[in-house]
Amino acid sequence: MQWANMLSWWQWIVVGAVPPAIVLLYFLKLKRQPLAVPSTYLWHKSIEDLHVNSIWQRLRQSLLLFLQLLLLALLLLSLAGPSWMGSEQLGERSIFLIDTSASMGATDIEPTRLEYAKQQVAQRIDEMRSGDVAMIVSFADSAKVEQSFTDNRNELRRRLQEVKQTNRSTSLAEALRVASGLANPGRTSNIEDSRDFQVADAQEATLYIYSDGRFPDVKNFALGNLTPVYHPIGTETVSNLSIAALTTSPREDQPETLQAFARVKNDGPEKATVDVEVFIDGELDNAKRLEVEPGESSGVAFDLEGLKSGMLKLRLDAKDALAVDNTAWNAINVPRRAKVLFVTPGNEPLEIALGTDRAREVADITQHAPAFIKGAEYRKQAASGGYDLVIFDRCRPEQMPQANTLFIGRAPPSEGWKAGEKVAAPQIIDSDRSHPLMQIVELGNVLIAEAIPLFPPPGGTVLIDANAGAMFAIGPREGYEDAALGFTLIDEDRVGSDWVLKASFPVFVLNALEYLGGSRTSLATDNVQPGQTVTWRSDTAGETIAVKLPDGSTVDVGRSKLNAFKFTGASEVGAYDVLEGGKVAGKFAVNLFDSLESDLAPRMELKVGDSKVSGITARQPARRDVWKLLVLAALAVLLFEWYIYNRRVYI
Amino acid sequence: MSTLASPLLSPELLAQLEKLELVSRKVFRGRMKGERRSKRKGQSVEFADFRNYVHGDDLRFIDWNTYARLDRLFLKLFFEEEDLHFYALIDASDSMNFGEPTKLQYAKQLAAALGFIGLVRSDRIKIETIGQPARQPGPVFRGRRSLWRMLDYLEHIEPGESISLAQGVKNFCLRNAGKGIVVLISDLMDKQGYQDALRYLMARQMDAYVIQVLSQEELEPDVKGDLRLIDCEDDDVAEITVSAPLLKRYQQTLAAFIGGAREFCNRRGMSYLLAKNTTPVDQLVSGYLRQRGLVR
Repeated sequence: MQWANMLSWWQWIVVGAVPPAIVLLYFLKLKRQPLAVPSTYLWHKSIEDLHVNSIWQRLRQSLLLFLQLLLLALLLLSLAGPSWMGSEQLGERSIFLIDTSASMGATDIEPTRLEYAKQQVAQRIDEMRSGDVAMIVSFADSAKVEQSFTDNRNELRRRLQEVKQTNRSTSLAEALRVASGLANPGRTSNIEDSRDFQVADAQEATLYIYSDGRFPDVKNFALGNLTPVYHPIGTETVSNLSIAALTTSPREDQPETLQAFARVKNDGPEKATVDVEVFIDGELDNAKRLEVEPGESSGVAFDLEGLKSGMLKLRLDAKDALAVDNTAWNAINVPRRAKVLFVTPGNEPLEIALGTDRAREVADITQHAPAFIKGAEYRKQAASGGYDLVIFDRCRPEQMPQANTLFIGRAPPSEGWKAGEKVAAPQIIDSDRSHPLMQIVELGNVLIAEAIPLFPPPGGTVLIDANAGAMFAIGPREGYEDAALGFTLIDEDRVGSDWVLKASFPVFVLNALEYLGGSRTSLATDNVQPGQTVTWRSDTAGETIAVKLPDGSTVDVGRSKLNAFKFTGASEVGAYDVLEGGKVAGKFAVNLFDSLESDLAPRMELKVGDSKVSGITARQPARRDVWKLLVLAALAVLLFEWYIYNRRVYI
Repeated sequence: MSTLASPLLSPELLAQLEKLELVSRKVFRGRMKGERRSKRKGQSVEFADFRNYVHGDDLRFIDWNTYARLDRLFLKLFFEEEDLHFYALIDASDSMNFGEPTKLQYAKQLAAALGFIGLVRSDRIKIETIGQPARQPGPVFRGRRSLWRMLDYLEHIEPGESISLAQGVKNFCLRNAGKGIVVLISDLMDKQGYQDALRYLMARQMDAYVIQVLSQEELEPDVKGDLRLIDCEDDDVAEITVSAPLLKRYQQTLAAFIGGAREFCNRRGMSYLLAKNTTPVDQLVSGYLRQRGLVR
């Protein structure tokens, strides 16, 4: 209990004289009203009887006096400005950033970390003084302003209760930008511009971050007027087992048999033994026991004999703090063959590469001479999205098709692409091996006779770089991608590059068929994380498809492009069915697969831009005024006194 | 307080009272010829006794038939019929000047009603107040035609007599040597006690009735807060803080007071009646007093 003196000494003397004055007035009986009665005979007798009893009777006689003194005492106490040793007092402007990512659903703090964080924020809101303003922002992979700056504490509390748990990953950057933008309203993005004036004075705000710190460091961000206060939520030693990855692929030795690979990670402090169960379409298929060292991960593989399509579910039979990462799904869809148009005046090496068994498996390839692309048939098919991929070998269409394209020896005619002057014998310097098109493609000793350097449009990526410029690049075009090779493979029986003789060439062609043909995306839908957009390609005639959510409800998805449907409602982990015309056309799975979220130990220090923010575990003491409570109590006493006076009752 | 505003006796009440008569439980000697049987032997049609003739007796009462038979002189005695002495003693102290109607007004109405009954039966009615000096007796009313005189007398009784109840009753007894029915109408609120006063009445062997008139304010006081109660008679002050226990205690004291007075009267052969100033007089006379046997 602390005291804040509100009065000077002489004021205290005046105030202190009031209680004796009340007592004096009471006993001088100045307030007694005279009343003439026929006889005081009976009254005297009554009073005498009462007086005889005890001193308590006298006390009861003066109950009203005591109530008055109590009322006065409460008022005086409130004048003395008492305050509890409450927790830290808030600044005038507060921003509460509440982490709602998957890891906040951990139950190492009852009931969950998020609920605990909400309780903490609720306490803060309770401690706000009138006039203080606060803002609530919840963030996972994106930020949401739950409540902008207000001093309405009821509204803040109500909005706080509406903050919901998500299964998404965490990114503080967007939340910080939102907070900064609202905290510094006068500031614009271009700080370095000398003509950029601040339109309003920057106002300082305290940024309260309630999170477990499981997100990447925020780079390129200046806190400016924001004073960060980081409250780590969670316990240090928390056990959690998670499925970090789940993929299915054909076995190397038996391509007909699918195999499921899973990686189980142990983020707890102790070695864990866990049963991994495999369900196929809801039926238990297989189970294995796995031992995982602390901080390590173990792989496990299951053979899926005779399985062509279905929903694979992997479950860890473990009781740990976070349940959402104990189950993973993987959708095995019947592969959809890509429709590929190959336009060439004649290209034997490429024809051979496209004619392999594997290529025929993933794609349905039609070959035509360049004259075909001038015809009506091509125009109709290309405009209606009849192809997934069109390969233009040494030719260019007048209009780009509604499909992905691969140009060989030419720059695409679409906007943004530029081709340089022809150069002889460029030397390959580097290739982007991380891009799906260039995976396992070795270009170490490939020679090129002559080539045109390519300049992809904004957003494009150079995949093969040479001393003369980009030899292979890929760029976006209205939802499609155009890839262009700057050199010819073979030109009128003249070999343009010895790449066609290397083993990496058929691999590249297969990559191109799978990636640009879209067959890879329909197969590789196993890596959708909660909150991501799922694009489903379908040549269905209907305008909508339906997606059945894990909870059984169905959502209609409209056509966004010619044959693409974009589904944005994948917020829950689980298995999703895609329905076309009421029939299940395919499946996809949404999994957490986020090692940052699964590692539950809270980070004690955050790095925002160049500044470090240390976590505060203990709450700092501060004053919490209680004079309002005292005045309220005094009011209650006054009411009670009035009641007693009028009803003539005693306790 | 105007007593003229409300007549002491309404015509309806008069009609009702005319049928009643005062009853004495004792037989007294009267002063004049009346309608009551007296202890005294005298002239009436009702034979009472014989006695020997002594010299000087009225020859008219000698029983000549007995003389003829026994040759001795006997005198026939007859019951004398005399008037009944009825006294109404009204307490006109300040304390009686409370209530709505005032207790004094109520006492006057009661005295008028009882007096009227007596007037109709040719009784000797005397109405006095406590504060009357010992040597200044009040007027005597007799016969129905005295009604207006009696009412006029009653109207002129004013509150404000300051004399103790005992002293007042003593003075009354000194003034009135005769016997009869006495009705004391008072609130008995005397700090020296009512017991002495009632003992005086008892000593005169009168047929005494005590009617205690209390106002509604006394029976169920409606007060609140811190009060300084001032006695209207002696300016005595009682400071009270009204509370539920105090009110409860007051009720207990009041009940004990009333009960004590009733007990005192009953033990000494007096009739006690508690009258509330809100009870109508006709109801009291034709109801309660009839039950008590004062009127018939």
